[in-house]
Amino acid sequence: MVTRRLAGVLLRAAAQRWPVELRDELIREWDAELHVLAGRGERWRMLRFAASLAASRAGVPEVDRAVPERRLRRTARVLLLAPPACVAIVALAAVVMSLAYAVLGARVAWATAVQLPLWSGLTAGAGALLALLVTRAARRTVRTGPLATALGVVLPIGLTVTVVLAALAGSGERGLAGTVPGLLLWLALLVGALWGAGILARRGRTRLAWAVGVLGALVAADAAVVLAVVSAIPGATVGPVADGLPPDTVDRVSAPLWLLTCWTDSSLGLPRPTAWERFLITDLVLVEPVFYLACTPYAVAYAVAAARPAAATAPAPEPVPSPA
Amino acid sequence: MRLTIPVAKVLSALLADPDAPRYGLDLMRLTDLPSGTLYPVLHRLRAAGWLAADWEEIDPVAAGRPARRYYRLTGDGVQAARLALAELRALAPEARPSRGGAEPTGAPAW
Repeated sequence: MVTRRLAGVLLRAAAQRWPVELRDELIREWDAELHVLAGRGERWRMLRFAASLAASRAGVPEVDRAVPERRLRRTARVLLLAPPACVAIVALAAVVMSLAYAVLGARVAWATAVQLPLWSGLTAGAGALLALLVTRAARRTVRTGPLATALGVVLPIGLTVTVVLAALAGSGERGLAGTVPGLLLWLALLVGALWGAGILARRGRTRLAWAVGVLGALVAADAAVVLAVVSAIPGATVGPVADGLPPDTVDRVSAPLWLLTCWTDSSLGLPRPTAWERFLITDLVLVEPVFYLACTPYAVAYAVAAARPAAATAPAPEPVPSPA
Repeated sequence: MRLTIPVAKVLSALLADPDAPRYGLDLMRLTDLPSGTLYPVLHRLRAAGWLAADWEEIDPVAAGRPARRYYRLTGDGVQAARLALAELRALAPEARPSRGGAEPTGAPAW
């Protein structure tokens, strides 16, 4: 009786190392074999049978052992390539925007006004396409916890940003130090947004996960823009103002709108920010908001897709007549 | 399908009588493989479509024991296993001494 119980414990420990969808059937199968051995009084064989299964590292079946490696490589590929793709999207959209401005500039008066909306629109469209690709790839990537997934998405973005900033610093670009706090804040808040989205997606609340992910990413981007502006531009006049020019200040009352201002170069019909404030804001933070826009769709899409439970694929067994 | 020695042993045992369903302890006896090696091999063969697994159709109360799971080579599995073992045999040096237990069922039926 003790031997049977011990063997049962070993079998259940062994089953824990097999894929979840196979465990019940394996335990049923092994229990049936144990029952036969117990009926014959072969106690040592029972223990050997169970101990071999429990001790064998083949608790992860040989056929499945290559799968995690492939998934790991695919995950690394997706998460490491997506941020540089976003940089490329931003750059490509800027080129298209410049070409469009060159064509429209001499013909229509509103050419300047559509520059930023065009850049943002092109970036958002390409970012959405990238999100579709990433979502498809996420079906066969490593499934981990929501926090690990969020960090797995955000850390490569941080790495890419570091490389780009280093490259720009080497080329003599100025003012990069001022962008770092905003970028760090965006990355930190984006982890929280993706983490929350992943938790909800894992519970099957996919729509809510998308809402939390998108809203959280928008808040993260907005906070980053606000930090960059507040750090560099005063809210009220502190010194003499040159004749004929408005003061170089940005009223904080419109702070929540600054991200949209950067994307649209518009005050959305509101009195603030004024045209001069819009100029100051977009002169200070021009590229970062567009980069946030490029990254947000794929980041949220991956966090949600990777957290959703995978469908079980175990084949249903069919009964057969007992052989003689 | 990577043909390891345990896989070759299981295929040999099953090919000895392709129509005979085999349960786990039966295959352990025929192949001399421990359970911790056998069941992953069986899973691998099933995933490749070479092997079918079916539950014994008995009344556990009347039989006095739970139903067992039986394994049998599929039609594709028989062909693929014969080909794989033939290729394995062709690779082996002719003068190589027999390794005990490598062909547990005697002369295989391929």
